[in-house]
Amino acid sequence: MAEEESQFEEFDQIDFLRDRHVRFFQRTLQVLPERYASLETTRLTIIFFALSGLDVLDALDVIDRNTMIEWIYSLQVLPTEDQVNLSRCGFRGSSHIGIPYSTKGPGVLHPYDSGHVAMTYTGLCSLLILGDDLSRVNKQACLAGLRALQLEDGSFYAVPEGSENDIRFIYCAASICYMLDDWSGMDIQKAIEYIRGSLSYDNGFGQGAGRESHGGWTYCAIASLCLMGRLEEALSQRELDRIRRWCIMRQQSGFQGRPNKPVDTCYSFWVGATLELLDVFQYTNFDKNRSFILSTQDRLVGGFAKWPDSHPDPLHAYLGLCGLSLIGEPSLRKVHPALNITQRAFQHVQQLQQTWRSSTGSCSRQH
Amino acid sequence: MSGIEEISNESVEVKEDEEFDVEAEDHLRDDFFHDPTRYIFYRDRKEWSDLEPVPQDDGPNPVVKIAYSEKFSDVYDYFRALLKNDERSERAFALTSEAIELNAANYTVWHYRRVLLQSLSKDLREEMRYITAIIEEQPKNYQVWHHRRMVVEWLNDPSEELEFIADILSQDAKNYHAWQHRQWVIQEYKLWDDELDFVENLLEEDVRNNSAWNQRHFVISHTSGFSDAMEREIQYCLCQIKKAPNNESAWNYLKGILQPLGLSSQPGLLERVLELKQTHCSPYLLAFLFDCYEDALENSKENVAEEEQQKTLKKALEICQLLAQEDTIRKEYWLFLGRSLKNKHGSSDPSSEPLADDPEPSVPASGQQEMS
Repeated sequence: MAEEESQFEEFDQIDFLRDRHVRFFQRTLQVLPERYASLETTRLTIIFFALSGLDVLDALDVIDRNTMIEWIYSLQVLPTEDQVNLSRCGFRGSSHIGIPYSTKGPGVLHPYDSGHVAMTYTGLCSLLILGDDLSRVNKQACLAGLRALQLEDGSFYAVPEGSENDIRFIYCAASICYMLDDWSGMDIQKAIEYIRGSLSYDNGFGQGAGRESHGGWTYCAIASLCLMGRLEEALSQRELDRIRRWCIMRQQSGFQGRPNKPVDTCYSFWVGATLELLDVFQYTNFDKNRSFILSTQDRLVGGFAKWPDSHPDPLHAYLGLCGLSLIGEPSLRKVHPALNITQRAFQHVQQLQQTWRSSTGSCSRQH
Repeated sequence: MSGIEEISNESVEVKEDEEFDVEAEDHLRDDFFHDPTRYIFYRDRKEWSDLEPVPQDDGPNPVVKIAYSEKFSDVYDYFRALLKNDERSERAFALTSEAIELNAANYTVWHYRRVLLQSLSKDLREEMRYITAIIEEQPKNYQVWHHRRMVVEWLNDPSEELEFIADILSQDAKNYHAWQHRQWVIQEYKLWDDELDFVENLLEEDVRNNSAWNQRHFVISHTSGFSDAMEREIQYCLCQIKKAPNNESAWNYLKGILQPLGLSSQPGLLERVLELKQTHCSPYLLAFLFDCYEDALENSKENVAEEEQQKTLKKALEICQLLAQEDTIRKEYWLFLGRSLKNKHGSSDPSSEPLADDPEPSVPASGQQEMS
C-alpha cells in the first residue's frame, strides 16, 4: 500500500479486546435496562447475536447451555390439540404476549399468539449453536407456519397477522428451510422471481422492486440463492460480475451500505459475506477494513458500534466480529457466510441432517 | 387500599398529606385525577378492576431480560390481559396508545390497535393525525410506517402522503422507510405527475443523494421509459458529473440506464467520457471506460478484426492499471478484472504485456459457494 501508518499510533486501534467482547455478550444475555424496551419482541434475535458472537469468540463455555435451550424452547408456538393454529406456528421473539412458560406441548390457544419468521430463524440457529438436536422442534408445524407467510409475489410476511413484506423474510425463510432440510416451507421459484425483481439498475439489491440498492438486502438476496443452491440458475455470469462490482465499490475503509452513505461496521459482514459468497472477497483491502472495524470497538464495555465513538449494541458487536472473522482475525472462528453461524455450528447442522436422512431411509424433500 | 403504599415517587408528598386527608380515598377512587403529575397504575384504577393483569413469564431462567419499571410492567400486564380476552373496547384502544408510547416497536400492539380501529369504527382521520405525530418522532421504525400504509389503504386517500413524506425526507433525505412508502403511494395511486420535479429539487440540494437518483430511475421507468428520454438523461448525468465528478450515484445511474442496451450502444458517448477524463476524472469514470471496452469486446460483431479487438483490450488493460493506482483500496480487484479480461479475450500472442507481478490467472471457477 502507498501509505503506511505508524505502528505506534495505531497500536490502540489494532488491539482486539477479546475478553471485553465475551463479557459484553455475557451481560447482554443477562439483563438489559429499560431503554432497550424496543427490543422486547425481538429478544430471540438478541440471543442469537450473543450466542453466535460467543461462538465466534470460542467462548460458549461461559454460558449454561441447558438453561438457554430450555428458554428458547419456551418460545416455540406449538400446535394446539386440534391443530387449528398450525399456520401460526414457529417461534416467538419473547414472552411479551403473556403465554405461561412451557417447554412442551400441546400449544395454548390464544387469539394473538403466533410465530415470527425472523424469530423462527434465529431460534433454530441458536438451538443449533448450543448443540441441540432440534428433537423438540415441531418441524412440520414450523414449515406450515412458514408456508402461510409467503405472498403471491414470492416475498414473505413476518407474521401471519400481516406486516411489511420484503426480501429480509425470504432470507429468514430460506435459512429455516435449509436448517430443517426441508424446502416444502416455501415456493422457491416465486422467491427467486421476487429476488430477481429486486435487482436494481445499479446492480445491487433493494428491499423489493424499484427500491434503492442496499448492502443488507444484497446479502439477503445472494445468501438466500446460495442456501437454495440456485445462485447460478437465478443470475447470469454477467449479472454476477455486476453484483460483484456493486459490492466491492462499497468499501471506503470499512464498508458502506449504500453509495454516498457513511461506512458502518455491520456492512463489513453484510457486504463482506456477499463478496465471499461471490468468490471475490479476497480482492478487498483487509487492513483498511480491519482498522475501521476496530475503530468502532468499545474499549471499556466491549462490543462494537456502527461508527467510532458511538454506543455498542449486540447487532454491531456480533457483525463486527463476523467482519473480522471473514478477514481471518486469528482468535476468531470462521463464519459460514450464507447461514451466518460458525463453521463449527454448521458442521453440527450437517451431521444432524445426516442422521435425519439416514433414519428416514430416504432423501429429504429437497428442491 | 393497596394503592396508598404504591403511589409513585413523584407523588410522595401527596401521600403524606393524604394520611390525614379525609378526601384521600375519594381522590384514589377518582378516575379523573386533578393533579396531572400523579400517575395511577392500571392495577389501581377502579374501572380496570374487572381485569386480571397478565405478567410476562420467562420461566426460572430468563435470558436477555429487560428490566422494566413498575409503570411499564403495569401497562403491559393490562395489555396482555386485554389481548388474552380479545377485548374490543374504548379502554383497550386507549391503552394501546400508552403501550405504543412505551414501545412503538411492539408489532402485536399495533396489530391489536388496528383490530380495534375497525371493530370500534374509529375515526381514521384522527388516526392519520396520530400516526403522523408518531412517525415524526420515530421515523426509522418499521411498524409505524406499516400502520400508516394500512390506514391510508382503509381511507383510500393518499392526499396527504407526498407532503408528509417530503417533510420526513427534509429531516433525513435518505430515510429508507420514507422512500419505500413514497414509492408505494405513487405506484398504488398513480401519483407520478410531480415526482420528477421533486427528485430534481432533491438532487439540486444534494447531487450525491443516492436515494434521489434511485427515485429518478423509478419515476422514468414507470412513466416515459428510457428510449426517448435516453439522450436527455445522459445529458443530465454528464452535467451533474461535471458539477461533482466524484459522485458514484451519477455514474451508477448513467451506467444503469445504458446497460440494458449495452454501454457501447450509444454513439459518441465513449468520446464524451474520454474528454471528461481530462478534466473530471474519477475512479467511477475510469471504471465506466473499462466497462465500455469490455462491452465492446463482448458484443463485437463478426466483422470486427482481431486487431481491433486487441486494441480495445489493450485500452481496457491500461485502464485497469490506472485504476489499480488511483483506486488503491480496490487494487487487487482491478488487477483481477484485468487478468480475467485478458484470459477471456487475449490473443495467444506471447509478446503481450504481463499485467501485474502476480501472474496467477483467476477467473473464479464456479464463482460461489454452493451448498449441498
